[in-house]
Amino acid sequence: MMQKVQKSTWIYLLFSLVLVVIPFVKDERWFLFLLIQIFIFGIFAMSYDLLLGFTGIVSFGHAMFFGIGAYSVGITLERLEPTFFSFLLGIFFAAMAGGIVALIAGVLTLRLKSHYYAMLTLALASLFLVLAEKWRSLTMGNDGFTFKIPELPEGLQDHRNTVIYMFCLLSMILIFFGLRRLTQSPLGKILQAIRENEQRVESLGFRIMPYKVIISVISGVVASFAGVLYAISLRFVDTSVFAIDVTLDALLMTIIGGVGTLVGPIIGAGLIEFAHHYLSELSDVHWIFERWIILFGIVYILAVIFFPFGIVGTIQRSFAKRKQRKQEVTKSKKIAG
Amino acid sequence: MELIINLAINGISTGMLIFLIAAGLTLIFGLMDVLNFAHGGIFAWGAYAGVWFFSLTQSFLLSILAAVVTGLLIGLVTEYLIIRPVYGNHIQQILITLGFMLVLSEMLKVVFGPDIKAAETPSYLSGSWTIGDVTIIKYRAFIIAVGFLVFIAMQLILKHSKIGLIVRAGVMDREMIQALGVNIRKVFVGVFMVGSALAALGGALFAPSSGVVYAEMGMEFGIFAFIVVIIGGMGSIPGSLIAALLVGISNVFMAYYLPILSMAVTMLIMFVVLIFKPQGLFSTSGVSNK
Repeated sequence: MMQKVQKSTWIYLLFSLVLVVIPFVKDERWFLFLLIQIFIFGIFAMSYDLLLGFTGIVSFGHAMFFGIGAYSVGITLERLEPTFFSFLLGIFFAAMAGGIVALIAGVLTLRLKSHYYAMLTLALASLFLVLAEKWRSLTMGNDGFTFKIPELPEGLQDHRNTVIYMFCLLSMILIFFGLRRLTQSPLGKILQAIRENEQRVESLGFRIMPYKVIISVISGVVASFAGVLYAISLRFVDTSVFAIDVTLDALLMTIIGGVGTLVGPIIGAGLIEFAHHYLSELSDVHWIFERWIILFGIVYILAVIFFPFGIVGTIQRSFAKRKQRKQEVTKSKKIAG
Repeated sequence: MELIINLAINGISTGMLIFLIAAGLTLIFGLMDVLNFAHGGIFAWGAYAGVWFFSLTQSFLLSILAAVVTGLLIGLVTEYLIIRPVYGNHIQQILITLGFMLVLSEMLKVVFGPDIKAAETPSYLSGSWTIGDVTIIKYRAFIIAVGFLVFIAMQLILKHSKIGLIVRAGVMDREMIQALGVNIRKVFVGVFMVGSALAALGGALFAPSSGVVYAEMGMEFGIFAFIVVIIGGMGSIPGSLIAALLVGISNVFMAYYLPILSMAVTMLIMFVVLIFKPQGLFSTSGVSNK
């Protein structure tokens, strides 16, 4: 049986097509690199949205999954031959490690109040940061290390950036549609019900814990995949992948773009990455721009208070309102007629 | 033997500093049901305020006073601007206070400069006593004394005064205490300010013992305070004291014998507590009924 394709799917596919064409039109290195970063952080922010937006779990240690992914693939490619096989092996290690850490954190704290998961993940992330700094034989500490990525076949090697661009874009599109399918599935509905009213879901006969743990593992795996892409795009890993700034970025992107919308975090990632790019250029103009975390922090606080639905959420709400009003008008006309 | 005693004293004094932050955190959580992720930032501000005032006045007492006043003021502003709009919404509280934490630590860099600052110990507290083979660093002993005094004062005020009665009643049943004509909002503001002042006091005491202050210390010690609150149980002040001492001592011993694992052992204690007694060693609340 053919399912009816949603109208929004066509719109998303159209945008994807535009993004596919971009590198053939505008081939500048910095611009491609910026877009690659947006795709990577878009994936990362989507994985965050699964927790914050769809289930109502706050994680303050999302950077650790990102870092785990980046280090897994980096170490695998550095220790083994830089072939496609070791690249796949790196992805496998990243997914396993990210999933296991998410499972442990989830099992330990998800039966408690939301505070606990936030605190535990924050503490765990700082543990991983310390580990990456101290375990010098494996991670090279603060200096980080460079590694080689697999050689591409003849002909493609000259267009390596474009290939990485396509790979990241394709990953983002596939993950986006996959996660959208997931959130619209019965599992997704239960998660959203948990977000709205945990006790109600429990009294309907669902056990809450397994659902929360499942989604935290999925989110952890997706986040470590974003870390893998990040390491590949830089061909370099250092401890900054575990920094709290990375978690803050994901938070900002999700909240400004719109929690619980999946496409919102991608838009948020675009905005924040462009802001990073231009603010760091502005630091020559005034020193305050070097402290851009202050600006981001203030924007973030204001967004939490005054703009809780984000860009996409606010648009969706205004559409829904208009639709409702239209229906009411037609209804009252029918009654009058 | 003297090594062990020295390490123990060192650990207890570290634990006392962590207790000062954790006590404010758990007090605020117990009464207001607000988890303040910006708490560590106030600790860092207390440390900077203390160091700055000491360099101006050369009076240790005045510098501590300045730190406490800083804590009270930041507490007032935080409650008013950050916490008040999001009462009752846990997720928003957690999100917004983390944002404020980052703003607070970045503001430190703007006001005092981004580099590490040296902190002096007042002359009458520097040096050490020697009893037999054991040398006791004076300043460590001083921190332990202050920590115990603060703990006893908090217990006395909470258990044996009118204000303490109101606060404890507020923890148990907020609506009832309001019905009895108590302005719980004002009590909230007061408790929040006191909790922040405790963190700032901890910061001012921490600076001379470590010798340096830096903007990231807020996050570092904030995490310790969270771990302590998890181990001790949310809302329990004796629990925080015991957990803080446990974390402080185990941390110092590990840092001496197995430096790589010093952070890990703290986490390990937390994991064990979370597995076997998730609501914390001394807690009355904390398990999710939402």
